[in-house]
Amino acid sequence: MSLVHALRHRLRVLLNPRAHERELAEEMEFHLGLEAMQQEHAAHGALSVEEAHLTARRQFGNVTYYREETRRVTGIAWLDGVGQDVRFALRSFRRAPTFTAVAVIMLALGLGANTAIFSVVDALLLRPLPFKEPDRLLLLSLTPSPGERTGWSYPKYALLRDARPGVFSDVSLVSRTEHTIRVGDEAVRDWGESIDAHYFPTLGVRVALGRNLLGQEGRPGGPRVVILSDALWRRAFDADPSALGQSMLVDGSPYTIVGVAPPQFAGFSGAAAFWIPVHALPEAWASYDLGPYNHTFEAIGRLVPRASLAQARTAIGRVGTAVDAIYPSARTRDQRWSATADHLDDFRVTGRVRRTLVVLMGAVGLVLLIACANVANLFLVRAAGRRREIAVRLAIGAGRGRLVRQLVIESMLLALLGGVASLAVAWWTVNALASLESASVLQLQIASAIAGSAAVELNLAAFAFTFAAAVGTGLVFGLVPALQATRFSLTGALADERAVVMRGLRGLTSRNVLVVAEIGLAIVLLAGSGLMLRSLGRLLAVRPGFDARNVLTMQVNRAPEWSRDSIVRFYDLALEHLAAIPGVSSVALADCPPLNYGCAGRAPIQLHDRQSSTGSAPVFGIHWITPGWPSLLRVPLLKGRMLTDADDRSARKVVLVSASAARRLWPGEDPIGRRVMVPVDRFEGDTASVVGVIGDVLHGRLDSLPMPDLYVSYYQSPISFRMRLFLRTEGDPAAIIPVARQVLRDVAPGFPIHAVSTLESIVDESTASARFGAVALGTFAALALLLAAVGTYGVISYAVTQRRREIGVRVALGATRSDVVRLVVGQGLRLAAAGVAVGLVAAFMATRLLRSLLFGIAPTDPTTLIAIVTTLGFAVLAASWLPARRAAGVPAAEVLRAR
Amino acid sequence: MATDRVSSQQKSELLRGTLEMLILQTLTVQSLHGYAISQQIQRLSDGALIVEQGSLYPALERLQQNGWATSKWGESPTGRRARYYTITASGRRRLGQEIEGFDSALLAINRVLRRV
Repeated sequence: MSLVHALRHRLRVLLNPRAHERELAEEMEFHLGLEAMQQEHAAHGALSVEEAHLTARRQFGNVTYYREETRRVTGIAWLDGVGQDVRFALRSFRRAPTFTAVAVIMLALGLGANTAIFSVVDALLLRPLPFKEPDRLLLLSLTPSPGERTGWSYPKYALLRDARPGVFSDVSLVSRTEHTIRVGDEAVRDWGESIDAHYFPTLGVRVALGRNLLGQEGRPGGPRVVILSDALWRRAFDADPSALGQSMLVDGSPYTIVGVAPPQFAGFSGAAAFWIPVHALPEAWASYDLGPYNHTFEAIGRLVPRASLAQARTAIGRVGTAVDAIYPSARTRDQRWSATADHLDDFRVTGRVRRTLVVLMGAVGLVLLIACANVANLFLVRAAGRRREIAVRLAIGAGRGRLVRQLVIESMLLALLGGVASLAVAWWTVNALASLESASVLQLQIASAIAGSAAVELNLAAFAFTFAAAVGTGLVFGLVPALQATRFSLTGALADERAVVMRGLRGLTSRNVLVVAEIGLAIVLLAGSGLMLRSLGRLLAVRPGFDARNVLTMQVNRAPEWSRDSIVRFYDLALEHLAAIPGVSSVALADCPPLNYGCAGRAPIQLHDRQSSTGSAPVFGIHWITPGWPSLLRVPLLKGRMLTDADDRSARKVVLVSASAARRLWPGEDPIGRRVMVPVDRFEGDTASVVGVIGDVLHGRLDSLPMPDLYVSYYQSPISFRMRLFLRTEGDPAAIIPVARQVLRDVAPGFPIHAVSTLESIVDESTASARFGAVALGTFAALALLLAAVGTYGVISYAVTQRRREIGVRVALGATRSDVVRLVVGQGLRLAAAGVAVGLVAAFMATRLLRSLLFGIAPTDPTTLIAIVTTLGFAVLAASWLPARRAAGVPAAEVLRAR
Repeated sequence: MATDRVSSQQKSELLRGTLEMLILQTLTVQSLHGYAISQQIQRLSDGALIVEQGSLYPALERLQQNGWATSKWGESPTGRRARYYTITASGRRRLGQEIEGFDSALLAINRVLRRV
């Protein structure tokens, strides 16, 4: 009850403080009136009216004082004081525009960088996944060996689905697949997801219009139905509800539209435009795609409420055992497949992206600290200039708390101004990041491609973050100088100039500490970015094993219902026409482009003439190529011969192996003529002989070692899935694109042509994430260096002003210009040396975080460290050179006469 | 009347709790305006306790801020507008606590002074 009364009263006072004061005045007036009457009455006419009033006032005490006192109790006085301080601060900013501008710019840079990186972190790591109760969603994985994860093949998933452990309220599977759909008159390639009826319930998403898949639609031979995304429904059907029941062509077959997903929902992969049942896949694909060794399905499970991850792992482990019993590992005898579960949230980004973001977040944090130190320094300098003002105010009775409050309000206000300005910086940075295709860089690496919809944008969360950061910043850089500035002894500051000098020097010490800290932090950032840049350099210097210049690649999808022979004929025709284009020197096919992060198939290879009793059969990358592919990419032939057109289906099976594969399988022996068993497609159950060894090609990533690879001729085993066209051109490959497109359209009218790119751009893309990290960190480090240099300049320049008299004396006593310059620059270098010492220690610790992001370089690389120390040394030298020259110009006679 | 030069700051420290207790006590019987409260306290204490009448007002404000008393404008017997203060239920509880605390403190002090 007291709370209600208290709140009502406080609210009334706060909402109308003027009324409260009026009423108080009236009340006191009333009181005094009564008291005066009482006095008059008591004196029986011995007092005049005036005298009675005077006595009443004496009885009452100081009316103004008690009014103030009452006001103080209400807290209005405090608020008024804050308002006054704010007005005072704004006035003082206007009086010192340079100080204000410099401080606001520094804060804007520091805060803006933080906001920008925060919005990336928010989009990729913090924002909850767009599913219902995402913390109950688990990603279920098969583990061929400890620490290795893979998705599920359909038959293995079926074991999971049929067992459906009780800890899961639902399990489902999903596979992102690319399809040709017909929207209006146009055939387009778009991402869809192959799912079963449990998919939407598992994710907790309700179909907005129409219905979910029915159970039997997930079975083989079931009806072909499709659920559209809201976006596709709007694009293709103008959001017309009568689209339900109509049919849409997917890969040339009619699918009945049964539902529309809710707006914004883009599926598990974040990129899906439609969903089709797994079993609706064309017959030609199903034999492979739904076979036991195509592990391209992800399985997701929704935990029942209150079930733990550990329980889920136990349950899924039993499924893993069953999988291993029914589909034993072909690789080894003693290695067993198992299964595990992890929070879906852990798979939003790869560990590398997560680590990069953590490092960048730390880096911008350091930049902000440096900016804070700089602004704190400015405040110290300014406080020193306002010593007299502060001393006078203390002398006439201002409380220290009051002065600290005012100084903190000034710094908070400055920080908020900086925060507002930082939004412009952040906006610009976020746009720059977006145009740096960083979003795609980061999403490219998302394991199982979740959260592709996470847009990097400045949203409410980012604004809240900026505000909080600004307030925190204001407190950090405001409180310390404020406490220091109000710690004067009154007499010292007012009475004696010498005392002022002494105090000035003490102030200088804390400024020095700030500059040393700034330089130290800058060293940490420079070390980090230096290492990232050097690592990027190493990465760019990696030879991928092929010549990417003047190569164009593209993909054209054939109709899925075609037989293998007609596929071969189709590609032959396409190659023939493409080769005829002027400027194209050779053409070839392969199933994947190089540097594809694992598009290529893998299989365990067994030697025909050796029982692999010892250990495991090595896993090889298997590549389907046409005979001309190695020479088109200028992959060298090391031994034996290349594949030829004669190696066709009627000839005996032959393979090429890569140099690493040869070393791995036949160390120190001649691989030519050896026979291997390749358990894929037409090679299955047959043996193939090695006819040649070619150079290693990096099929996976630039920063990993080459896999042992094995190449089979497309003509001996024309696999049913997509092939990629390669064209070597005489000139700029991009110039050929329009002609090549036209040629393909003529050969295969209505077939979508996609993934058109030069091989060089594929190589570029594979370094995009490293470039992003290096560029971002480098930018922040440059900013840090600039801020540290500005900080040093500020302190040295202030010191020169303070020591003007001393320098004058020195010059009068015979110091030369170079003596003076040495004196001043020496001070700067001493600060730098201290900063470098502190910074290197910190850098040794901090750069360990980078270890996993670096390629081919140790975090303690001495060359990098020497380079950054030198860079910093020059920056400090330049920063102290300018004030030093000013100091050297001090006219001794004038300075001495002035005192 | 305070003839010694005790600063007003110290004075209010000294009297704050006690004065609030006294005010609440006067309000237990009926709602009163400020002047009446001061008269009441003065009368009951033979003029010994109120140092300056004005110190009543910050104390009244504090009571309201804490929700121990409420106020309402009404008409005084002389016909002028006056603000009447009323003790709340929580104010009564508070008063009970205050008196208890005061009693035990007084008892303790008296023990030290060997009067009981």
